[in-house]
Amino acid sequence: MKRGGVIWSWFWMILGILYFFLPLVATFIFSLKAKLGVLSFLSYEQLFNDNDFIRGFSYSIMWGVLTIIVGILIFFPTAYWVRMRLPQFRTAVEFVTLLPFVVPAIVFVFGLVRTFSHPPFLIVDSPALLVLAYVVLIMPYMYRSIDTGLRSIDVRTLTEAAQSLGAGWGTILFRVILPNIRVSIISGGFLGFAIVMGEYILAQYLAKPAFAPFLAYLIQQKAYEPAAATIVSIALTWACMGIIQLVGRGGGQAQIAGGH
Amino acid sequence: MTHLELTNISKQFGQTTVVQDFNLDVKTGEFVSFLGPSGCGKTTTLRMIAGFEIPTTGKVLLGDADITDMSPNQRDVGMVFQAYALFPNMTVAQNIGFGMRIHKEPESAIKERVAEMLALIHLEQKGNSYPSQLSGGQQQRVALARALANRPKVLLLDEPLSALDAKIRVSLRAEIRAIQRKLGITAIYVTHDQEEALSISDRIVVMFDGKIEQVGTPFEIYNFPQTAFVASFVGTLNTTDAEVVNPAKKLIKIDGVQLETAEGLEDKKKGDKIKIAIRPERLNFASVEKKANLFDSTIENITFLGSVVRIQVKVGNNRFNMDTFNNPFLELPKIGAKEQITCSREAVLILNS
Amino acid sequence: MTASNVVKRDAPSARPAPYKFSWAWLGVMPFFLFAFMFLIYPSSTIALGSFQDSNTHGFTLQNFVHLLNNPNLVAAYWISIKISLITSLGGGIFGFLLAYAAIRGGLPPFMRSSLMTFCGVASNFAGVPLAFAFIALLSPSGVLTGWLRAMGYNPYFHGFQLYTFWGLSIVYMYFQFPLMVLVIAPAIDGLRREWLEAAENLGATSFQYWRYVAFPILLPSILGTMILLFGNSFGAFATAQALTGGQINLVTIMIGAQLRGDVLGDAGLGYAMALGMVVVMAIAITGYTVLQRQSERWLQ
Repeated sequence: MKRGGVIWSWFWMILGILYFFLPLVATFIFSLKAKLGVLSFLSYEQLFNDNDFIRGFSYSIMWGVLTIIVGILIFFPTAYWVRMRLPQFRTAVEFVTLLPFVVPAIVFVFGLVRTFSHPPFLIVDSPALLVLAYVVLIMPYMYRSIDTGLRSIDVRTLTEAAQSLGAGWGTILFRVILPNIRVSIISGGFLGFAIVMGEYILAQYLAKPAFAPFLAYLIQQKAYEPAAATIVSIALTWACMGIIQLVGRGGGQAQIAGGH
Repeated sequence: MTHLELTNISKQFGQTTVVQDFNLDVKTGEFVSFLGPSGCGKTTTLRMIAGFEIPTTGKVLLGDADITDMSPNQRDVGMVFQAYALFPNMTVAQNIGFGMRIHKEPESAIKERVAEMLALIHLEQKGNSYPSQLSGGQQQRVALARALANRPKVLLLDEPLSALDAKIRVSLRAEIRAIQRKLGITAIYVTHDQEEALSISDRIVVMFDGKIEQVGTPFEIYNFPQTAFVASFVGTLNTTDAEVVNPAKKLIKIDGVQLETAEGLEDKKKGDKIKIAIRPERLNFASVEKKANLFDSTIENITFLGSVVRIQVKVGNNRFNMDTFNNPFLELPKIGAKEQITCSREAVLILNS
Repeated sequence: MTASNVVKRDAPSARPAPYKFSWAWLGVMPFFLFAFMFLIYPSSTIALGSFQDSNTHGFTLQNFVHLLNNPNLVAAYWISIKISLITSLGGGIFGFLLAYAAIRGGLPPFMRSSLMTFCGVASNFAGVPLAFAFIALLSPSGVLTGWLRAMGYNPYFHGFQLYTFWGLSIVYMYFQFPLMVLVIAPAIDGLRREWLEAAENLGATSFQYWRYVAFPILLPSILGTMILLFGNSFGAFATAQALTGGQINLVTIMIGAQLRGDVLGDAGLGYAMALGMVVVMAIAITGYTVLQRQSERWLQ
């Protein structure tokens, strides 16, 4: 790389770093200003003593965990089955996994409310609806992650070996195949978790307690606590991304829908 | 006339010395191969000629010009890469004409030259195809044409056939050689395949661990290897330790068996330990023909390789391979039989190192 | 005895094939059922609703007519398109330069993995927290505003406003350029080093290499990803809502208002807008997929 070129590289990189970090730094500084005239962690204290925060945060964690579990239960066997027995369905399934991108969250929740507000599907108030909606939201990422993982191992041979040793389907799926795609499951899982943690629209319009609606409310009410809450949410997302990087090659999974 | 001259070339990456003491004079129109195992420095040296690496010490002269520090796009060399490196967004014709387009030559000249090149590589019909539509062998020929279209002074080829399968390798290397001869262009060819190097080169530079082991014609390299490495890398070989008995009379012994050599003992004294080598095809049964050296052996194994029959014999504590041409009417001895083996004085190669 | 008789007598009876099929299809039923119940069906009710009169539930195209006749709503589409164009172009170009700098720009290798982590975080950081972070940064009482004022420059005196279209664009860029980096990185990886060396070997300068080789090869990827960015911005809601309190005129904000029950006229209009959004997104995703396939052909 010629010398002149490297200077430009550093230029863009520094610009990017600045743009990326300034809002974070500003938020952090802001979060330290709760006590007049001195920097302190007061806002964090107040935050962690705020019952609404505890409530919103823990609910979001719960939604996240439930979403991942349900997601694995639905997507993993499907991806496996398509790969093993029904390759002709691959295009149809991949098309469906792209559909959440076509329906923005605000439209999606619109449809959900309309559909599930009337009998016989009057479940608009049920938390199950939120979790299932989240599963739809993370479907593109989670399904693709699992599928990539399955592609990289020899699913057929593993299955046949397990079958010849007398294993049933449950054993094959969850004790033979799943452990071998640990990395993809973790990547997809943590990405899904991060998305659910930051998600606003579905939680808000389905009227369920969650972190992001709480934060929106907090912004109207308090000055410094929101900053602390934002820092907490960033730290959590960072941890999720960090784990993904650690576990896998830190692929190119990116956030497109949900949360914003 | 020296066309390409490499003097005292060495290359260091950090603490590792990858190439050292590399000196070579290449004549115009000569086809020189750099032969050696992976990591021996042959590709690095080639890249220094191309300009993708700058030598730590030494000079590269092309004709009269010192191109040591010149950037790659200013040298007059053409390079063919192992991975073809054809531009996927351009057709075959556009790929071949790329160099001329860069040099702002007129369209008519470019068209003519591209047609000429396509005819040279026998792909006249493929001008408008894209690289992805061609086979590996075809892509490599296009890569060759692209390098040649620019009329370079030297053609550099970096293991161009490694990515292709065996049959294509054999036919394509002959084609490359034919084209090179026809154009009279100086060529440097890097390969780890000794058969390839032997079959198409005017001279071979055998490299190992960053240094030149030997430079010579294929005939010389094969029949008169100067080091143990060259002897073992090129062709199959029987090697063993020997002790000098009488330097003046050119006598040595291995495991008590006395052998006469033709030469190479000048600087040795009685009792010196040396390494010798004998090519399998230079050994034969004494019953077929008698040469200067005779020794007893036990037949251990007989392998039928098609045109060659490889017989493994035990001579003292050594195991030697003996190759004879397949002869349906020659009765081969049985395993375990004792036979007398013979070889000429000249067949015993003294190795340095 | 003719040949045909022999054949008839000896041919085994064929078993109907579908016997095995129906069992295997069962395996994907849960997935399709789930997708249908919780994605396809709810979304199609939107589509259906847009063609229904909100009172009589009869088929009508009036909703779309009302949509096109409502200057506010049409303006919402234009503003949404404008912000999406700006942030997809800006984010796309900046993201590409950043990705190239980290991957092929001669920077130390740890820069690349750091950049990828940052971008993973940043592209996920959209929504309410992001809006607040920029409020903390650039609002009249924000940290950066404070620093600039301390240095004698008050951006607000020079016409800067955070809670406006341009302020929102700056905020959107925060998740747009990381998305570009993440999606375009594999394409840049696919730019083989030999192409650069071959081009140099044939006499090309850096600029010529870019102009004739690298850029044409990357173009489908870059374009495709920018289209993705467009869709991403077009469908964004929470960030705009949190930053402007719903004051800015975007299609998503309008739909959100509709959902909250704010009076917009009739429900059918909301559905019409939603359908319009889905159409735009579908075009974007299709464009992206097509261009992505094209680029994969060259960058395998």
